[in-house]
Amino acid sequence: MSISRRVFVKSGGLALFSLGLDPLFLARAAFGSYRPLPSSTALYRPVLVCLFQRGAVDGLNMVVPHGESLYYRERPRIAVPASDVVDLDGHFGLHPQLAALKPLWDNKSLGVIHAVGSPDSTRSHFDAQDYMESGTPGVKSTADGWLNRYCRHDREHDDTPFRAVAFGPQLPRILAGSAPSLAIDDLQAFGLRAPEGAARDRLTRAFEQLYAGSATGLLSSSSQEAFEAVQLLRQANPAQYRPANDAEYPRGRLGRSLQQIAQLIKGNLGLQVAFADVTGWDTHVNQGGSEGQLAARLAELGQGLAAFARDLGDRLRDVVVLTMSEFGRTIRENGNIGTDHGHATAMLVMGGPVNGGRVLGRWPGLDPASRFEGRDLAVTTDFRDLFGEILARHLGATDLSAVFPGFTPDPTRFPGVMRD
Amino acid sequence: MQNHVLARLLMLAAAVASLGARHAAPRQSPPRQLPALTPHDSALHALDRLAYGPRPGEVDAVAAGGVMNWIDGQLSPDQLDDRLVAERATAFRILRYDPRDLARLYAAARNERREGRQGGKDEEMGRRLAGEVEQLAVVRAALSRRQLYEVMVDFWANHFNVFFGKGADRVLAPSYIEETLRPRAFGKFADLLIATARSPAMLFYLDNWESVAPGSAPPAVTRPRLGARPWFGRGRYVPGFSREPAQADSQRQRVLERMPKGINENYARELLELHTLGVDGGYTQQDVIEVARIFTGWSIKRPQQGGGFEFHDWAHDDGEKTVLGVRFPAGHGTDEGVRLLKLLASLPATMHHVSRKLCQRLVNDDPPDGCVDDAVAAWKHSSGDMREVVRAIVHGPDFWAPQNIRAKVKTPLEFVVSAVRAVGGDPDTTPRLAQVVARLGQPLYRHVAPDGYPEREEAWVNSGALLDRMNVAVALAAGRLPGVTVALEAVAPATADAEQLIAAVNDGVLGGAMSDNTRRVIRDELAAAPDPVAARALAVGLTLGGPEFQRQ
Repeated sequence: MSISRRVFVKSGGLALFSLGLDPLFLARAAFGSYRPLPSSTALYRPVLVCLFQRGAVDGLNMVVPHGESLYYRERPRIAVPASDVVDLDGHFGLHPQLAALKPLWDNKSLGVIHAVGSPDSTRSHFDAQDYMESGTPGVKSTADGWLNRYCRHDREHDDTPFRAVAFGPQLPRILAGSAPSLAIDDLQAFGLRAPEGAARDRLTRAFEQLYAGSATGLLSSSSQEAFEAVQLLRQANPAQYRPANDAEYPRGRLGRSLQQIAQLIKGNLGLQVAFADVTGWDTHVNQGGSEGQLAARLAELGQGLAAFARDLGDRLRDVVVLTMSEFGRTIRENGNIGTDHGHATAMLVMGGPVNGGRVLGRWPGLDPASRFEGRDLAVTTDFRDLFGEILARHLGATDLSAVFPGFTPDPTRFPGVMRD
Repeated sequence: MQNHVLARLLMLAAAVASLGARHAAPRQSPPRQLPALTPHDSALHALDRLAYGPRPGEVDAVAAGGVMNWIDGQLSPDQLDDRLVAERATAFRILRYDPRDLARLYAAARNERREGRQGGKDEEMGRRLAGEVEQLAVVRAALSRRQLYEVMVDFWANHFNVFFGKGADRVLAPSYIEETLRPRAFGKFADLLIATARSPAMLFYLDNWESVAPGSAPPAVTRPRLGARPWFGRGRYVPGFSREPAQADSQRQRVLERMPKGINENYARELLELHTLGVDGGYTQQDVIEVARIFTGWSIKRPQQGGGFEFHDWAHDDGEKTVLGVRFPAGHGTDEGVRLLKLLASLPATMHHVSRKLCQRLVNDDPPDGCVDDAVAAWKHSSGDMREVVRAIVHGPDFWAPQNIRAKVKTPLEFVVSAVRAVGGDPDTTPRLAQVVARLGQPLYRHVAPDGYPEREEAWVNSGALLDRMNVAVALAAGRLPGVTVALEAVAPATADAEQLIAAVNDGVLGGAMSDNTRRVIRDELAAAPDPVAARALAVGLTLGGPEFQRQ
C-alpha cells in the first residue's frame, strides 16, 4: 500500500519548498517517483464538494411533497404546512429554513433529486453509510471509497496535496484508499507550530526527515502528504482570508468547513474533491415541523450553502456541491413525534454547471402500494447513477465502472443534474 | 489443518519459553528452532498492548520479574495496589455526585444562564464536572498500576458506546462508567450485557426508554385520578394535574399527545448488530422488531432528574415473541429481556464477534483467525468470562508472533497517554489533557454513533492528524503542554554528549526501537541546540512525534 501510494504522490509542493539543500532529496529520490507539478494545472479545475448528512436526513421534510395529502395524513404532528413551504414547482417545496437557497433555485443553480438512495435495503446507519461511501451497496469488503477511486483512476487531473480534502479530524471512508487525500480540521492551524518562522522551518524539516527515512505503511504516505500540504498552504496564507460579497457563514462546524473549502478553491491550490460531514439528522424523537430540531439543522445547511455560493461568486461556475445521506426516514411519523429509519431520501445539487430549478428523479409517490417494503419512500434513482453523472459530466471521469465496481453505468439512467 | 495447529503449538511453546518468566510454565517442552522475543522485547510488547506503554524503567522491571508474572498480575487487578490513583481520584468531585445531584446541579447552572448570571458558581461547577469524566479516564490510563484493567474499561466503553452529549446522558453517563462498566470489565459478558441493557445511560442513548407497545398508556394518564403525578413524557416532569376538571382534561390530552406511541427499534438493532451477533450474525428485520417488542417497558425513572432503571409494565408488549427462532412466551415481563440477553450472550456469533474485536484491539487490526479461535474456545470453556478470554488471547501464539509486534498504530488516546507515561508525566485534574486527546480526533465518550471509536489505523492515520501528533509531542517534551508536568530527568540526563542523550532517549522512550535514520536526524538537530536542557527536550519531542513512537 505504501509504495503504490507513494507513486501517486507527487512532489507538487516540494519544488516550491524552501527546504533547499536537502539531504532529504536523496531519501526521497530513493522512491524514484517524483516529478514537479506545473503549477498552472492547479488552476480552474472543476471542483466537487460532497456534504454527507450523517444520520439519515428526512428527505420528505427537507424537500416537502406538499402537493400530496398523504404526506399530511401520515405526519399529523411533524408535517410542514403547505403555507410554510417554499414552493418550488407546485408539488414540492423547500423546508422554510432552506429559504436562503430559493434565489439559487430561481437562477437555476440549485436542483433537487428526490427518491434517491441505495439499492440495498439495510436500515443500519453504519452499513448504509459504508455502502454510500464505498460505492458498493451490499458489499462490505470494499476497502476504499469511491471518491478515492475516482482520484486514482482519473489521471487527466494531476495530484496535488490538496486534490482531495476532507474537513474533519479523521479521513472518512469515502476518501480512504491509495490516492493521496488529506484530512484537515482547521486550515489555519495546519502545520507544525513553533514560536518563530526559522524554528518552525527547522522543526518541519526534521520531522519530514524522520518520517521520510523511518516511517512505514500508512504512516509514511500520510506524513509525506502532510509536509507537501504544509508548504503549499504556507504560500496561500489562509489567515488573511475574508469571505467575499459579505457572505456570512453560519457558526459551527459546517460553516467553518465550507469557508475553508472556499478558501482552497479561491487559493487555486488544486482542490478537486472536497468532503465534509454534517451531523444531527437522526431525528427519532421530537423532530419538529416548520420549527424544531430538524429545522435548526436545515437552517444551518441552507445558510451555509447560500454563504458558500455568495462567497465563491464567479467561481461557482466551476463548482458542484452535492448533499448525500445514507437513507431517508419513514413516511409515517413514529410514536415519539419523530421518524425512524426509512429508504429513499432527497439530495441537493448546487453550482454553476447544475441543471437547476427542477426536481429531478422519478417521483414514486407516497401511496402505500408504491412504497418500499410497504412503509418507506421507494428508491427510483440509484445513488451511483447520480454520483456517476456528476463524476462523468462535471469532473470528466472516463471510467465509471472502475469507480463503481460491479455496477454498469448507463448514461441513459443519469438523472440529468448536469447542464448540457 | 493439522499442520497449522501443530505450527501454532510450536510457536506458542517457543514464545512462552522465551519470556524469561519464573512461572511461565511452558505447555510443551520448548523446541529451540524458532526465533523468539527477548525478555526485554516481550516486556515492551506487553506494555505496549496490555498497558498504555511503559513508564521510565518499566520495561526492565517487567522483564526482570517475568512478563508472564506481570500479565498474571494484570489479570487480577484487585490484587494490585493502586493507591496513587485512588488518592488522585478523590480530587475528582464527579465521583461524589450521583446522577440526581448532577441533574440538580446542571439544572441550577441552566437557571443561572437563563437569568443572565454568567459564570455563576453552579455553572462553573457544572462545566468543571463535565470535563472531569473524560479527564478521569485519561488520568487513570496514565497513572494506574491496573493498566490492563483500564485498557479493558476503554474497550467496553467503545463496545457499549454511549454518546455523553445526548440530553440526559450528561447526568447519566458518569454512573455508566463507574457503576455499569468498571465493576464488570473483567466479568462475564452476559453480566455486562445485562447491566448495559438496564443502564439508564444506554436506555436513553438508544431511545429504548421511550419504546412502548402500540396503544399502551400509563395508568396515571388513563385513570382520571386528579392530583396524581402523571407519567411525564419527553423527559419533562409534569407536576400534577390541575384540579379544575376541564383544565385537567386538556392537560391530560397534551400529556397523551406527547407520549411515545409505539416501539422504537434503535436499541434492538444495535444490540444485535454491535453489542452481540455482529452485522453478519444472521438476524432479520423481523428479529429486530421482535427484540424491540421484548424490551418495551424497559425505561427510566425521570431521566432528566437522573433517575434509575424502571420497568413499565403498562408499556410492555405482552404478546408472544420469537427471536432467531426461539419462542418467548407471552406475559413474562422484564424476564423476557433478561432471558434474551443471556441467549444472545451465549450464541457463537456473539462469541466470535466480540472475540474478534478483542483480538483486533490487542493483537492486530486484521485479527488472525487463530487468535479469534483461541478466544472463542476460552469463552466456551469459561461461560463467557472475559478475564479468561483475554488470558487466552495473551497466552496464544498470535499475540507474540513477530508479524504482530509493533503492528498497530496508536489511537489518539493511546498516543497521548503513552507519551505522557514515557516522559514520567503526571496529569492534573483539569480536563486539559483529555482536551488534547479530543483535539487529536478522539473526544472520549463523545463518539456519536453507537459503534464506538474504530480500532483500525486507517481511521487515525492521516496527514493532518500526524502533524497534530508532532505538535503535541514537541509541546509535551518541552513542558509546554498544559495540564501535565513531565520528568525528563527520569528519561535521560541533560547532557552535552549527543550520543549519550540519544542512547538514553532510545532506551527510555522507544525501548530500543530507534531506527538509524531517526538517530541520524536527531543527531543533526542536536548539533544546533547547544543548551543541554533544550537539547534533551528536542530529542524527546522528535522521538515522541516520530514514526517509531506512533506504533505499538
